[in-house]
Amino acid sequence: MMPAIRCLLDGVWHAYPICIPGGDSVTNINGKAYAMNAITPMKWWKTPILKLIFLLAPLTGLADLKNLSFIHFARWVIIKRGQFPWLGGKQPRENLEYDYMIFFSNFNGTWNQYIDAFSAVLSDGLNLFWRWSEKFPGAVPVTAFKRYIALVQFDTDYYYNPYPYATTNDVKAAHRIQAALDDFAKTSAAMSAQDFEKAYRQFVIRVQNDLGALGPAPEGT
Amino acid sequence: MANQSGQLYGLTILSPIINNGSRSASQDLALRKHLSSLANGVHSPFARVAGTHFARLVVMNDVVFVGNPSKIDHLGSQYLIFTTDFDGDLDAYLRTMAQSIPAELDQIWKHCVGYPGAADAGKFADYMKKCQVETTFYFADVNDKTRDQTLKALQVKAELSAFVEENQGRPAAELQRAFQGLLTKINSTPPPAPGASRV
Repeated sequence: MMPAIRCLLDGVWHAYPICIPGGDSVTNINGKAYAMNAITPMKWWKTPILKLIFLLAPLTGLADLKNLSFIHFARWVIIKRGQFPWLGGKQPRENLEYDYMIFFSNFNGTWNQYIDAFSAVLSDGLNLFWRWSEKFPGAVPVTAFKRYIALVQFDTDYYYNPYPYATTNDVKAAHRIQAALDDFAKTSAAMSAQDFEKAYRQFVIRVQNDLGALGPAPEGT
Repeated sequence: MANQSGQLYGLTILSPIINNGSRSASQDLALRKHLSSLANGVHSPFARVAGTHFARLVVMNDVVFVGNPSKIDHLGSQYLIFTTDFDGDLDAYLRTMAQSIPAELDQIWKHCVGYPGAADAGKFADYMKKCQVETTFYFADVNDKTRDQTLKALQVKAELSAFVEENQGRPAAELQRAFQGLLTKINSTPPPAPGASRV
């Protein structure tokens, strides 16, 4: 049996990992956004192949990612085994077997919804990006995929979101409304009341799909 | 450039955490404790850094072992990962960070190897760039609007949605006057504060 790892914090020994005092919030979530971090190992010789795939990605899978419309920002970062930042001094140089890919995402909805949607809609794209990682089971069937993501995911300690009440769909709708309103304000400025009423109805019809309250985030898992 | 999408920049920083066995509290735990109590929402330090969309701080203790027959790897250092999505240019942003929230940055990065402090914005920017790792592929769903433009647009969406609901069936002249009032209100009201929990 492995000995328990213990660490000293503020003069008290704790089992590791510990519950940090004051850390009662769910730091992976801020409003309607979830911060995901996942790290996967790759054999070094696969890295150039994957980098080439990412270079070509805008020509292939990006349209699906945009159409799904539930990710504010995402990034894939490949760090070669010898390229972890080294600042000299007493910091040891990394001596790793694998290169690593770290995936960061800011998505809307729950973890299960996100993984389900990825698996159902983007499985080809996901397989293209992750098949180079060790022991990646494929995005379908979803059960093995979820197990793998849960294994390679690590938690966010602090997450800031400037508009926690908004999904990425809300953001896109808001910019469409802003543009339509600016345009309508200009074109309707000199209208008679009767002409304004007619133009206003047309304006509302144009923007109605983008209207709606910016309510609180739903709860889920 | 892979770090950028439109006018958005995706910065990824891995700062090695000091490994000093003689201290009473390990640096990664002390850092985690500090991050757990760091203010968020409108009081977040990142709300005061112009152009910041999302930001996160993550203590990475080690890499992951995915099971046999893979080999077991261990990192020589623990890393503080910092990612942010911001408007514009890297150098200008790092200097803005150092000038806007120097004390908060020092409290976070004092646990990291070689951190020079944020009092000298130039040294701070140089340090952060030494710790930067290149993003391989960056996706920004809306990449042609600044944070402030987005906050204003969200305010407009909320105001217009309420206006449409409240003014159904109004006579034409009243509707027109009310609409002018809406425009005046939108133009005279500042956008919601970054990090606010509602519009």
